[in-house]
Amino acid sequence: MSQVTLYSVAYTLSDDLLRAVGSILPAGPRGLVTSGTAVTALALLVFGAILLAASMLNTILLIWWERKLLGRFMDRRGAMHVGYAGLLQNFADGLKLFRKNTFQPREADSLGFYFGPTAYLATSLMIFGILPISSGWNAGSLPLTLLLALTIFSFAPLFIFVSAWSSNNKYSLMGGMRSAAQMIAYEVPLLLAVVAVVIVAGSFDLTTIVYEQQNYWFWGPLVVALIVFVAGMLAEMERIPFDLPEAEAELVEGWNTEYGGMLFAFFMLADYLRALVGSILVVLLFLGGWTLPTWVPGSLTSFPLAGIVWFMVKTYLVFGLFVWVRAALPRVRTDQLLRVGWNRMIPLALLSVFLAAVLVEVRCLPVFGCVPSAGV
Amino acid sequence: MTEEGTATEENPVLYVVRPMATAAKQFAKSLVRPSTVIYPFERLEDPAFREEVAVASGKPIGVGAIWDNYRGVHALNIATCISCNLCAFSCPDLCIEMVTVPGGDPKHPKKCPEIDYGKCSYCGFCSDACPEGCLTMTTRYELATAKRSEMVYSPEKLYEVFRTKLPMNPIRLERPENEDQILLDPPLCIGCNACARDCPTACITMLDVAKPEAKAGEKLPKRIWKEPVVNDSDCVRCGTCISVCPKECLFWGKRP
Ligand code: SF4
Ligand code: SF4
Ligand code: SF4
Repeated sequence: MSQVTLYSVAYTLSDDLLRAVGSILPAGPRGLVTSGTAVTALALLVFGAILLAASMLNTILLIWWERKLLGRFMDRRGAMHVGYAGLLQNFADGLKLFRKNTFQPREADSLGFYFGPTAYLATSLMIFGILPISSGWNAGSLPLTLLLALTIFSFAPLFIFVSAWSSNNKYSLMGGMRSAAQMIAYEVPLLLAVVAVVIVAGSFDLTTIVYEQQNYWFWGPLVVALIVFVAGMLAEMERIPFDLPEAEAELVEGWNTEYGGMLFAFFMLADYLRALVGSILVVLLFLGGWTLPTWVPGSLTSFPLAGIVWFMVKTYLVFGLFVWVRAALPRVRTDQLLRVGWNRMIPLALLSVFLAAVLVEVRCLPVFGCVPSAGV
Repeated sequence: MTEEGTATEENPVLYVVRPMATAAKQFAKSLVRPSTVIYPFERLEDPAFREEVAVASGKPIGVGAIWDNYRGVHALNIATCISCNLCAFSCPDLCIEMVTVPGGDPKHPKKCPEIDYGKCSYCGFCSDACPEGCLTMTTRYELATAKRSEMVYSPEKLYEVFRTKLPMNPIRLERPENEDQILLDPPLCIGCNACARDCPTACITMLDVAKPEAKAGEKLPKRIWKEPVVNDSDCVRCGTCISVCPKECLFWGKRP
């Protein structure tokens, strides 16, 4: 039997479903309903629904995880009364936001005002759709997945700026401009750090990058790139200490000041979705994705869905690192932010690219072992 | 930008590593037991809970330090209240009203404080001012009610609090050494006995004064030939006598 993939699961599901529907229909419509095209169409829908559900569930769990961790960092407990250990608290919050009235400032530009959050959430969902989570869960196994993911990831400043500008509020606009400046400044080192990984792995395909790391996680030899990547991700996700675009003390709530109700929830979900994507990218690029080194006992890697489980464990731990940073560091000023971005991060990123090139040339390092065969 | 600012920002150890280490330490500590008291289920005043925390954290939580001077609901010992009004005078929120309670005589009713907790700021001035130590603050803190009127505690209700024998805030202000005393401007006094009648500590005695001989052509004032004498050690400085005096002949001052 070939490997079970997410799409094969969706296909089987819709095939069974349509067969069951077809069996109660007369012959004419039955042929239509059970035809290959119909099954494929439904399979694609189911596939998308599963992806959507998985991403939303993980996003909400991520918010819970952050609340619990941050609570402990602050010597308190975080959400704890709704559901076991507060697990359902965010669902309750979401329901509350869902029931709220959305309103729009009088002079706001409706098109941009509603388009901004929607597009922001939609693009964030798109990235989740193409990221491979395990050997079976890789919807977009294209040769250039990584580039595609990063491209979609960098749409965000545009939508943030559009929604901030169309809110017709000076705080929103300032937050939007800060957001754009920050994201553009950190895009460069982020991409350079990715280049270092690509040089060593020899591919833009995330699945290949993961398999290259089977016994050779890139975080060790490429630690400089990892630092730059994490810092860049923090800035891209607008998390503390780089949360200038929504610095509450200065800008009310930054670029989403004017948003309430479900539109606010869109932003919130998209923010955490991007945080999830950021953590996933760190895991994929530096921590070996869903694979564990071959010396790990087989019982740990062969149970059903082991890949997904290990992937999620790693992702949540990486997000824990982001929470740790949030708990410890104060917010930087704009000038510090941009100086650190252009003066520190870019040289460091260039250094990491250089180191990666050297690594590919040398091929073997004392502690870390040898670069996998496919290195360019 | 200051020099230190630059130094901190460009030093990754100062700016990143040290705070992260501090946060990690805090995280490790509160993984065992965060400081949060899950209030309705855990109570600081519950000895079992305190025991549990002491065992978990290895050190007792501040029963003494926090607890003794906690300022919660008042306790009033009606029996020893002398109706001096000092508590109501000292209240910055004007939440104390003196209401009549049984036990006084008809001419001289006994009045005790009634406290409106809707206004009280728990400053404790009233219990500091109470000369008899009968109005104290306890550790009771649960006042939630469904009705606003239930926030007003009558003297009887305050007495009920007193009878629960909760730990009471024992802080008493020392009487200052050189306190002002009640002085009399003798020529104005008409000997009406109002001050002596209303003095809550009964420290005023009306003593006879000699009736002067009327000189020729002079008319003696129409008055009772008595004058108040204040026993300073019993006087609680409530000022009642001054406020009841019809001729304004009593005043604060230092006896020569
Ligand atoms: S505690 Fe302060 S505010 Fe409350 S009744 Fe006493 S004096 Fe008034
Ligand atoms: S200060 Fe004390 S003695 Fe005086 S009226 Fe108030 S409670 Fe009674
Ligand atoms: S101030 Fe006057 S009324 Fe009050 S205790 Fe002293 S003498 Fe009596």
